[in-house]
Amino acid sequence: MSNRIVIDPVTRIEGHLRIEAVIENGVVKDAFSAGTMVRGIEKILKGRDPRDAWAFTERVCGVCTTVHALASVRSVENALGITVPKNAELVRNLMFCAQYVQDHVVHFYHLHALDWVDVVSMLKANPVEAAKIAQSISPWEKNTPGHFAAVQSRLKKYVESGQLGIFANGYWGHKAYKLPPEVNLLAVSHYLDALEWQKEIVKIHSIFGGKNPHPNYLVGGVPCSFNLEEVNAINTERLNHIGSLIKDAITFVEQVYIPDLLAIAGFYKDWASIGGGLQNYLAYGDLPTKGYGDVGSFLLPRGAILGRNLNEVHEVNGKNVEEIKEYISHSWYKYGAGDGVGLHPFAGETEFNYTGPKPPYEQLNVEGKYSWLKTPRWKEHPMEVGPLSRMLVAYAKGNTDVKELVGAVLKKLDVPITALFSTLGRTAARGVETQVVAHWMKNFYDELITNLKGGETRTFTRDKWEPASWPATAEGVGMTEAPRGALAHWVRIKDGIIDNYQLVVPSTWNASPRDAKGQRSAYEEALIGTPVANPEQPVEILRTIHSFDPCLACAVHIYDPKGEQVHQVQFY
Amino acid sequence: MPRNPNTAIRIIGIGNLLLGDEGVGVHVARHLLDHCHLPEGVDCLDGGTGSLVLLEPLQTADRIILVDATMDGAPPGTLRRLVPKFSSDFPPSLAAHDIGLRDLLDSFYLLGDLPPNVVLFTVSIAEMQNMVTTLSPEVAAAVPLVVAMIIEELGVASSA
Repeated sequence: MSNRIVIDPVTRIEGHLRIEAVIENGVVKDAFSAGTMVRGIEKILKGRDPRDAWAFTERVCGVCTTVHALASVRSVENALGITVPKNAELVRNLMFCAQYVQDHVVHFYHLHALDWVDVVSMLKANPVEAAKIAQSISPWEKNTPGHFAAVQSRLKKYVESGQLGIFANGYWGHKAYKLPPEVNLLAVSHYLDALEWQKEIVKIHSIFGGKNPHPNYLVGGVPCSFNLEEVNAINTERLNHIGSLIKDAITFVEQVYIPDLLAIAGFYKDWASIGGGLQNYLAYGDLPTKGYGDVGSFLLPRGAILGRNLNEVHEVNGKNVEEIKEYISHSWYKYGAGDGVGLHPFAGETEFNYTGPKPPYEQLNVEGKYSWLKTPRWKEHPMEVGPLSRMLVAYAKGNTDVKELVGAVLKKLDVPITALFSTLGRTAARGVETQVVAHWMKNFYDELITNLKGGETRTFTRDKWEPASWPATAEGVGMTEAPRGALAHWVRIKDGIIDNYQLVVPSTWNASPRDAKGQRSAYEEALIGTPVANPEQPVEILRTIHSFDPCLACAVHIYDPKGEQVHQVQFY
Repeated sequence: MPRNPNTAIRIIGIGNLLLGDEGVGVHVARHLLDHCHLPEGVDCLDGGTGSLVLLEPLQTADRIILVDATMDGAPPGTLRRLVPKFSSDFPPSLAAHDIGLRDLLDSFYLLGDLPPNVVLFTVSIAEMQNMVTTLSPEVAAAVPLVVAMIIEELGVASSA
């Protein structure tokens, strides 16, 4: 018997995302991923001052706002040939790292953990036993019987109120949940600790960016005024605050996130051979240490891996019009030169051509156009982007910090390196990356303090600020890595204003529809072979989709073989 | 929870400025910031699409007034005042960021020792539009009306 399952999530970055999966004999046999909301920020930006573009692109998404601003200012700087001062690079790197650490921890506890952790089961846990387990894996100060008992009673009250709220509509009691009640209690307790902690680390954005959400960026540098003694500037007191936030972040990652990740992963090692999907991985890289123009200086390296061959990393060039192209064979757009061609983003077009059913609808016509996402390809290959891709490229490039931590995690879980090519591997790679990045953040901070103490306080260059100094036309690409994957903005400037602006976002790489050759993109491919024990409660599908950190919450609709909806679950 | 003694009431306008009417909460916040004299102890925040980043702003005021768009099927520009206690009390389809706001409020309730004091003003919008930065005439006309309701709310709150 074959069932059709529809996952219809909502994302901020691109609106609704929907997945239709065909299930046969308890396994996903085919899958279709569709973005169902119109994009078109390009149309808003055309004709504007390129120095203002970041303020618009930053509003695209509520979760990774800073990375869109970063990609935008970089694209303009790249077009105009601006190199930002060293301190500006350091501040941008610090904001980047803070975003990663916050976003990855929030992803693990608040968006992904409940696929593995049974909240209701924790009500049966013995807090004393839970504390014993917790203390055996971490010195975290809140791993006490008293704290766990208090968390349990708080949650009990919450559940008894009849309002599970944030925990509502999980598949509690599903046999795919394998953690003992005590480990569930530990995880839920840390879920609450993480909520409180995450709001601290983002203060780095408020201090450097002047406000949050949506901190300020600046073409040519960062809008920060450093003066160690001045009350109204970023002074010693504020910098000390940032230093202590970084210290606390390292503590949280090393004493809470990583121990929990390893403890939970130990119960789900079967997921190290499920959900691998594509065999190609793409990373644009980031964290420059000698300027954005010097790709070799990036701590997160740029490169592409094909066929899971970790012995070879291919160079990636965002400006080469033969490399990255977007296709629309299955997307609701039309190209002037016909729908069969691929266009490099410099020549990108955004003309809508909706041919799908009038919503609400039950099924998409997956033979034709079925998504608002275009389909990006690198040299015609479908590529996965995200933490796994970044860690694989760094590993293959021989980054010692990454190699060491990946090795330690594999050893701890007693799994081979091929285990990385999986749902569990994707989730573990995110943890490894968080730990590495947290330490790099400390190094960037130390370097910034040294510069400031040495009297170097410059954060902005006026070079090429005035449009009169710009060429008549210029093209630039701003490549970065959002927490959930490779992100780039392409800008074409003509006579001082934006002539074309294109974004290719991580979800487009991962969640796009098939290309003209029928090659699936990352979500579609990763779902193939995923077991689904109970189509009424497809927690297994959510595990794989959530492992990509798709920036979504989803409503799962289950259809019977005739296409009738039999079940719907809201997922937060 | 640490509270800023000066912040008795915080108004937070939520929405995506790039999605036309969906950004009405931010338009209201900007109107209040640019054109209204807020009494002492009241501040106003452009919450944008800020999800969990807004947890601390929620926790550090005595009373919260949220402004957001909703797709509840009512004619565009319809205003409602709600006192949501749980996510299930929210109107349907809080536009593009429903999950973020629900998550946020649930987290807020979950972490708090006392029931939080939250009032939500919603502005009904039609279906999601293509990306534009301007409001439709119906929703634009609602902005001064929401502002007036908020000013009235502030008066009631401060005399309570």
